[in-house]
Amino acid sequence: MASPAVIDVNGLAALIAALQQEGYRVIGPIQRDGAIIYDEISQLNDLPFGWGDEQEAGMYRVRRREDNAVFGYAVGPHSWKRFLHPSPVVLWRARRRGNEWMIEEPVEDSPRLAFLGVRSCDLHAIGVLDRVLHHGSYIDPIYAERRESAFVIVVQCAHFTPRTCFCASMGTGPKATQGFDLALTELVEPDAHRFVVEVGSARGAAILQQIPHRPAEPTDVTAAEHAIAQTAASMGRQLQTAGLPAALLANLEHPHWDKIAQRCLACGNCTMVCPTCFCFSVEDRHDLTGTVTERVRRLDVCFTTSFTYTAGKPLRQSIRSRYRQWLTHKLATWVEQFGTFGCVGCGRCITWCPVGIDLTIEAAAITGREQTTEGVV
Amino acid sequence: MVKPAIATPAATNPFFPLPFLVISRRRETRDTVTLRLRPLSDVRLIAQPGQFMMLSVYGVGEVPISVSGLPRRPGELEHTIRAVGSVTRHLVALHPGDQIGVRGPFGTSWPLQLAHGQDVLLVAGGLGFAPLRSALLAILRERWRYRQVIVLYGARSPADLLYRRDLSRWLQRPDLVLRITVDHPDQYWRGQVGVVPNLIRQVTAFFEPANTVAMICGPEIMMRFTIRELQKHGIPDERIFLSLERNMQCAIGLCGHCQLGPFFLCKDGPVLPYSRLAPFSEIREF
Amino acid sequence: MSDRSVLELLATHPFTADLSEDQQAQLAACARIAHFEPDEYLLREGQPATAFYLIVSGLVSIEVFVPGHGPRPLQTVEGGSAVGWSWMLAPSRWEFDARALERTTAVVFDAERLRALFLEDCCLGLRLVQRLLFIVTERLRAARLQLLDLYGPPRER
Repeated sequence: MASPAVIDVNGLAALIAALQQEGYRVIGPIQRDGAIIYDEISQLNDLPFGWGDEQEAGMYRVRRREDNAVFGYAVGPHSWKRFLHPSPVVLWRARRRGNEWMIEEPVEDSPRLAFLGVRSCDLHAIGVLDRVLHHGSYIDPIYAERRESAFVIVVQCAHFTPRTCFCASMGTGPKATQGFDLALTELVEPDAHRFVVEVGSARGAAILQQIPHRPAEPTDVTAAEHAIAQTAASMGRQLQTAGLPAALLANLEHPHWDKIAQRCLACGNCTMVCPTCFCFSVEDRHDLTGTVTERVRRLDVCFTTSFTYTAGKPLRQSIRSRYRQWLTHKLATWVEQFGTFGCVGCGRCITWCPVGIDLTIEAAAITGREQTTEGVV
Repeated sequence: MVKPAIATPAATNPFFPLPFLVISRRRETRDTVTLRLRPLSDVRLIAQPGQFMMLSVYGVGEVPISVSGLPRRPGELEHTIRAVGSVTRHLVALHPGDQIGVRGPFGTSWPLQLAHGQDVLLVAGGLGFAPLRSALLAILRERWRYRQVIVLYGARSPADLLYRRDLSRWLQRPDLVLRITVDHPDQYWRGQVGVVPNLIRQVTAFFEPANTVAMICGPEIMMRFTIRELQKHGIPDERIFLSLERNMQCAIGLCGHCQLGPFFLCKDGPVLPYSRLAPFSEIREF
Repeated sequence: MSDRSVLELLATHPFTADLSEDQQAQLAACARIAHFEPDEYLLREGQPATAFYLIVSGLVSIEVFVPGHGPRPLQTVEGGSAVGWSWMLAPSRWEFDARALERTTAVVFDAERLRALFLEDCCLGLRLVQRLLFIVTERLRAARLQLLDLYGPPRER
């Protein structure tokens, strides 16, 4: 691929405009409702200039930064599955004509999406979803259509303290090396607010050609590497992954599951913020006249009792069993099913758990491994 | 864009049901019926015994139902349905001429190939006879491929026995060992009373454990006790096949509801050898 | 069948087949062969429990008589199994009925002589009591499973 380039803040604005020009809906970070979320952005000023965040187990706050960094935050409650695996979705509609039902395909133009600000962990999460929804024996047509057209702009992690992150121990970050169209590393220096741009695809190179840029100097590249290295060195959590699936499956009746169950509220926040949780439910709804009916799918949560409702009874009645299902799927059975962990170390489930359950600690307790809350600081 | 029902793009979109017509309805018990379905399109959905289809009642929902018979004409389907939830209540109330939606076939099938040249032991409990009936019909159609064929069937009461016409015909066959038992007899019942696992000891003379393929379907507890009994009589775990029931919503391994350990039972099951299930079978609520 | 001796039947019945010939002969000395026609009772609730039945062939219903309903079968016992253990806790009476559903052949042991034999030859006694316990366990397990009402009723599920 092309050698790295550098763009400035105006270049970033031009990038957004160029993507829009190409017909993409650009999705990027926005500071709204006290969090950094992802939504459609129309212009540069929508981006969260000068906003950072503070995260710990069970705690999230946006904070004003001392600088004007655009991407100076760790991942928030949203992930890209919101756009690739949307919910709810109408699968089909049927219309009654006498005794006959006519099935219609919902007319919905699947948008071409450009994701601006994809972190390495979330890029890997998309890779995980690819294996589940796109590369298996059955392909989800909704995911496939959105995924195949998506333009991915990575933002390498720099300029924040990754308190609940543990991508380094999952091998999913903090630096993304492939699988993107463009990758930006933000450098916030006085009078030199700029972005080192790596090109990951021909499509990325073509977009870069449309915006003002200059070739990167060795000093730019070194500064970018340094910023990412700092993030790697300040990773707030870690998870020992070697032998973890077997160790968890050997401890399915460990008493520690009961201890977690005493704290877990089964609220499902962890599944909703998780960038790889893909489960959905399917239901029919119809209008009052009974002549039009829709089959709708929406993301579902394995922490509800209804999730395993079979022949009139839920199979996983206890919270213990539902937490165990979630954790062992993420960190054990997922590997057997799809060849990767179902966890990318983004730390969202730790941050957004209302009681601060930390899966890195719980997995260590259940498998009897050494674990430090703080990791390497 | 309205498409005629016969041209639904099921081939490209796995969530689209194909329109089928109910052509017959046979009442099995108070709450259970067997429906025969004929496609309204040219598409042939060929299901193997053990596989299931997703049956849709428009406006109500969709449920997984095993095939319980063999097609009498190409493309036909036969399903036995018990009214348990809202969708099955609607399915049971359908009549010839009604239209329903069908997706499938999905999942694994009974190991009929493996059973060629072997003794075959089918153990059914309650509605679990439905998926095994299609296996039995396939076996009887090519009876010469198998050695002894033994069927053990337990039901709650005589009034809960499915396929009574089949049963009386099968009881006459000299090439089939069929034992039936009920938990709660009525005053006319002259047959066996007790649970299915107890029947196994009565038929040990008919099978050679190392050359037997066992297929079980019924409530999980019944299957658990049946497995133990089969193990006692020396049938290896990898020759004991079960059909498992779980919540299934997509049937294509994407929705997550039917997970059991490393399996999505809609595509890795519903039929699995016990040897693969054993590590998880004793883990409660897994 | 009728011309086979008790000894021959004990040599092939699963309950006694693997005992020594001496032991089988000792047991045979306490036993006779009996045939029961359909609906004939082997034993009746409330009567003194004075016999032990090894079922050779046929089908026997263990049941209780419910006023207004008639006989209510609880479990059936087929050839190869056994009926009756109340006699072990003598003196006692049968707690249920046992009725032949089909023509049934049984080896019937005199309970008093059997008890005496068990005390005389404790080794043999223990072996047979273990077998009886196996049958009791199997019957109890079946009863517990029946109690669960595995297959329904669907309206409660």
